Amino acid sequence: MTLLIGATTVGLILALLSLGVYLSFRVFSFPDITADGSFTLGAAVSAILIVQGHSPWIATMAGFFAGMLAGMVTGVLSSKFQINGLLSGILVMTALYSVNLHVMGKSNLPMANQATLASEAERLAGVLFGLQGDLHVIGWSVGLRDAAVLVGVFALIAVCGLTLYFFFRTNLGTAMRAAGNNPQMIRALGVNVDALLILGLALSNGLIALSGSLLAQYEGFADVQMGVGMVVWGLASVIIGEALVGSSRLGLLITGAVMGSLLFRLLVAIALRWGLDPNDLKIVTASFVFIALVAPSILRKLKPTPVEKIA
Amino acid sequence: MLEISDIRKTFHPGTPNEVRALQGVSLDLKAESFAIIIGTNGSGKSTLLNAVAGSFITDTGRIHLAGHDITRWPEHKRASLVGRVFQNPFMGTAPDMSIEENLALAARRGLPRGLGWALPRTLRRELRDRVSDLQMGLENRLDNAIGSLSGGQRQALTLLMASWLKPDLLLLDEHTAALDPKSADKVIQLTQEIVERDKLTTLIVTHSMTQAVNLGDRILMMHKGRLLHDIAGSERQRITAGDLLERFEEAGRREVDSEAKD
Ligand SMILES: Nc1ncnc2c1ncn2[C@@H]1O[C@H](COP(=O)(O)OP(=O)(O)OP(=O)(O)O)[C@@H](O)[C@H]1O
Ligand SMILES: [Mg+2]
Repeated sequence: MTLLIGATTVGLILALLSLGVYLSFRVFSFPDITADGSFTLGAAVSAILIVQGHSPWIATMAGFFAGMLAGMVTGVLSSKFQINGLLSGILVMTALYSVNLHVMGKSNLPMANQATLASEAERLAGVLFGLQGDLHVIGWSVGLRDAAVLVGVFALIAVCGLTLYFFFRTNLGTAMRAAGNNPQMIRALGVNVDALLILGLALSNGLIALSGSLLAQYEGFADVQMGVGMVVWGLASVIIGEALVGSSRLGLLITGAVMGSLLFRLLVAIALRWGLDPNDLKIVTASFVFIALVAPSILRKLKPTPVEKIA
Repeated sequence: MLEISDIRKTFHPGTPNEVRALQGVSLDLKAESFAIIIGTNGSGKSTLLNAVAGSFITDTGRIHLAGHDITRWPEHKRASLVGRVFQNPFMGTAPDMSIEENLALAARRGLPRGLGWALPRTLRRELRDRVSDLQMGLENRLDNAIGSLSGGQRQALTLLMASWLKPDLLLLDEHTAALDPKSADKVIQLTQEIVERDKLTTLIVTHSMTQAVNLGDRILMMHKGRLLHDIAGSERQRITAGDLLERFEEAGRREVDSEAKD
């Protein structure tokens, strides 16, 4: 049960990552590698502020904004300086490695007994609902902290997902989707595509950094390596989500990204339980994305082409 | 309305691929006039329209539109004055977005875009009305992705989008070239209706001599990056498709002559 709750919680936290990846990869078709760096950046900024005794709320917000800043830099490199998108992301990601080390002051920063959003959730559960000690849910004993964190994370993901959904239906958000879909067309309708790309990548990396910040607070430490491979992880979640909802409707795609992240994390937890070596996790994830990318075209080739009807 | 003075544009200057696409074009287009641009392939027609729309900044010369000096304005800023339909039906719409979302984007051409709803109920109603005016049965498919429509349907919608907020200048670049004859006729008819109803100042590029003699009040013939003929007034009234073809041939002959002299 603890394992299940843990996997669900992490899956939901990483859903923010997959929302961010959805925004860059799918909305803008921009392969934004910055994510590996901005995920750690969010964790690092939040962790250091928490260690310095700041409120975890402020620390989390700061992590989010730091991520936005990183995304903006990538956006500026690619639009104003016309550097290839992939390379812009790599440049910023590489630079962020040093930035993250500077922010944390060392490569691993524990938040031993400081107040984090996790402890905050436990405290709120106590204050609001008068809960204490272990909970008993249909015969299972669940730690209060685990349950409170799960509920808190769920609420936060719901708020972020809904906000993103409603944002995409505003004039600005619709223009942003069009900027990704057909920049030529939306420019002819008076939209500064460069500005929207910068804003889009800022939002994307803000969400990814928020994901990193929450994960660090959940696990109790930030590590300079924690972002490695996160883009691929996010992409895997997005792909699973698309397969799950099988639709191109906006609301479903956003829900799909969240569900994909959850499902992927659960699958990974099961695989680890069955003896998958954690060191092999990244190659398994990468292979999964590879298969997901090539499978559709192979399946299409295998399927007999339908005989065209004679009109 | 539109004053172009001596604009020039050379692509890839100083390289073997150098193309002098515009070599000193000047044009004065009065408000509410409807001018047709004709010319051989590569004569610079699209480049001229692109220069006005701001796809690039010209090397020299000035462009004034509706009282503004827009010579250095970026494309997205000029869009507040210019409505545009491209030759390629895929270029004017966002294929994965719905018909109504595409139209809603056009309904704010050149206006600030904030956090208001893109599709409020009043706009939706107006969309439905204007789309049903097209008589293509699209009013019941407003939430379909626009990419699922035929080229003709898309061009009709793009035309509606370009003219949704009356533009000071409407630019049409061979916007029926990719369509079958029947769809092309329909889109041309629609063009005529919209231009006349809204009294739009219009520049249209075409390869169809029939369109050239039947539409508009002025014919501009381009050749090798220059405006070779400017046919207006009574001359325009009398001209036939045959006369135009003759002028094409004459331009071709002159080219051969000048090459022979070199
Ligand atoms: N962006 C560009 N970069 C390089 N060369 C260009 C560019 N745009 C146009 N040209 C060149 O400029 C010349 C004029 O092209 P343009 O597209 O204006 O011709 P056109 O009159 O529209 O021809 P068509 O009837 O085939 O559409 C051509 O030689 C073309 O190759
Ligand atoms: Mg052309």
